[in-house]
Amino acid sequence: MIVQTALLVGLVLFSVLAIVLRDLLKSAISLAVASLLLGIIFFRMNAPYAGVFEISVVAGLITVLFILTIALTGAGDEVRESRLVNWVFPLVFVAFIVIDALVMKGLLGKIPALASGGETGSFGDVLWKGRTFDLVGQIAVILAGVFSVLALFRKRDKHD
Amino acid sequence: MIILFVVLPLVVAGILPLLGKVSRRVVPDLLANATLLFLFVYAAVAGRPLIAGGPVLQQLSWLGEAVNIRLALDGFSLFMLLAVSLVGLAVCLFSVDYMERYGAKANYYALLLIMIAGMNGLILATDLFAVYLFLEVAAVASYALVAFGLGHDELEAAFKYLMLSVVASAFILASIAVVFGMTGSLDFAAVASALKELNAGAVVGVASAFFLVGFGLKAALIPFHAWLPDAHPSAPAPISAVLSGLLIKVSGVYAMTRIFLNVFGLTPALSMVLMSLGALSMVVAAFLALGQKDMKRMLAYSSISQVGYIVLGIGIGTPLGIAGGLFHLFNHALAKGLLFLTSGSVQQATGTRNLDEMGGLAKRMPVTAATNLVGALSIAGVPPLNGFWSKLIIIIALIQAGHPVFALIAVLASVLTLWYYLLMQRKAFFGKLNEKWAAVKEAPFWMTAATVLLALLCVGIGILFSSTVTTWIQPAADVLADGVHAVIGSWGF
Amino acid sequence: MTDTWYLYLFFSAALVFAGLLGLLARRNLIKLFIAIEVIAKGISLLLLGTGFAKDNVLTAQALVVTFIVVEVSLVATALALIINIYRQTKSLDVRKLAKLKG
Repeated sequence: MIVQTALLVGLVLFSVLAIVLRDLLKSAISLAVASLLLGIIFFRMNAPYAGVFEISVVAGLITVLFILTIALTGAGDEVRESRLVNWVFPLVFVAFIVIDALVMKGLLGKIPALASGGETGSFGDVLWKGRTFDLVGQIAVILAGVFSVLALFRKRDKHD
Repeated sequence: MIILFVVLPLVVAGILPLLGKVSRRVVPDLLANATLLFLFVYAAVAGRPLIAGGPVLQQLSWLGEAVNIRLALDGFSLFMLLAVSLVGLAVCLFSVDYMERYGAKANYYALLLIMIAGMNGLILATDLFAVYLFLEVAAVASYALVAFGLGHDELEAAFKYLMLSVVASAFILASIAVVFGMTGSLDFAAVASALKELNAGAVVGVASAFFLVGFGLKAALIPFHAWLPDAHPSAPAPISAVLSGLLIKVSGVYAMTRIFLNVFGLTPALSMVLMSLGALSMVVAAFLALGQKDMKRMLAYSSISQVGYIVLGIGIGTPLGIAGGLFHLFNHALAKGLLFLTSGSVQQATGTRNLDEMGGLAKRMPVTAATNLVGALSIAGVPPLNGFWSKLIIIIALIQAGHPVFALIAVLASVLTLWYYLLMQRKAFFGKLNEKWAAVKEAPFWMTAATVLLALLCVGIGILFSSTVTTWIQPAADVLADGVHAVIGSWGF
Repeated sequence: MTDTWYLYLFFSAALVFAGLLGLLARRNLIKLFIAIEVIAKGISLLLLGTGFAKDNVLTAQALVVTFIVVEVSLVATALALIINIYRQTKSLDVRKLAKLKG
């Protein structure tokens, strides 16, 4: 429990860093570290496949895409973030954490839940036999992503 | 084989770009239109006998072994499938000529078909997560389609749309996770029966609020509408027609209605919230539309206003109100599709969307002007067009259910609607011909064919409205009026 | 049981809120999208944490894997949009994206 909590705190810390840091490259890397931590958390929750996906795809592929974009667009130095926000952001965030800690527990106590009958079988069984329609959706969403990127990077030959 | 509605457009979308290398125009045009024509005929002809004996829950088998793809087809989903394939077909016909100047037609059709597949998947889905997933499929395709012109406005609109839409999905998914935690299940029927057992009013209220924000953003109800007046006008005209005519209804109204009425059950409080949101959207968006100079922007605000009518009708919760809301959904899909397509014809002919620069175009583009007039009068609710009947049903239902104030608001909003559409007619099509447009010609064949098709349907449904209502709308409304029992009772539980 | 759920819900709410705040506060397009990614992390933690607390890890894991696939294609589309915007305006400032109004 303690290790898990520490990992979760690290996850939130790096995620906040990713938003707060001025330098884009640094914030992309903080985001990758956050993904890495999330992947480890997933492993420790007996969800190795989700962990592998989180680490290889989100921490790996998506970070590469981010860095590629940053390289292609320059560092974005010309964007001046407002100074006021830099002060307000941590304050509001800390306030929210306090409210979160106070309210969430009481809220959860109110949630009635059915006693869940634990699942049996392996991950493969659940994915293939239980949620096959999701695979169709996954294929569709990948196709959508591929064609979107193709459409956005096509040569503009005749457009006005 | 209900799954064809999802798989066929996907497969065609997958092979289109490959075939597009062989033939740049003819093959993509033919194949995309043939696919949508097939889906339309399938929904119109085979669908009703299929559900004659009650809703079907189809379990697929693959090479003799049962695969767990459960798709449900009942009156409501069949009705939506018909609307999607009908407007999709008209849009696809229109694109044959219109999308010529954008280039990359095969790619365009592929994205359009994926969007259709996503909507159909959402309509046929039987569990909460599949709703999210197919919503996202349609949404990802639509971001690229909004930006398809790659101009500054298109990109700006697409980026804003993407940001707000992702936040909407996050809210929807958060709510799904809470429901999942509470009931240990995602299936509509299982969740509905578990929630009945649990009697968890407060938490369902919180989950409903999250869903309301998420689907409200997707449907562009008034406090959540900021993205729509940018995104819909910036897209190419046929895509505006799909977004306004279909996407906001499927991923906003359909998903919301299915979950609220068939899974959670409509409580009086929720009904009141839906009706208030609907009435607010109706009035505020109508006023905003009045001030617009850009033709497509005016149409976009009008969409928000008309979605308000639909949500108001469904929110009443009485069988008549639901029937009216669904009928208006169908009529608005046809008429708004038609209006956006004609706005595309005008834009292609004149190169502008500014109403002040137009004028007298009816003399040069008689068919476009006539079809536009039909669409405008239909949405404004002028008898005997289809929009009149659906608004009338909603207003009667409001009075019957004891909400005379809402009925009055609906009538007033209808007057406003008529006002801004007449304004549009006067500025764009009637009056003196602006000499700039002396050389303007009528739109090409397929573009006029698509608009004439939709206009004829608007008139035809208006005249034959009672038989349309009994054959298509009533079965759909019955499913919703049955409430939670519809899903638990008939979907194999 | 509730304690485990509380732990994950607490942290995922914090992540989602941090992301939403970032969306309101930042002006750089890439930064905005990083905020979106933080929200996505919160949501996937919420999904898996819920499944873990309720003994439904396998289903939750399937959902998270699908969610990650969706995320990838979303990120690809969004970053392609951002690169296109940069080519047009030579800027990543969201304030320069304010032509459409009314």
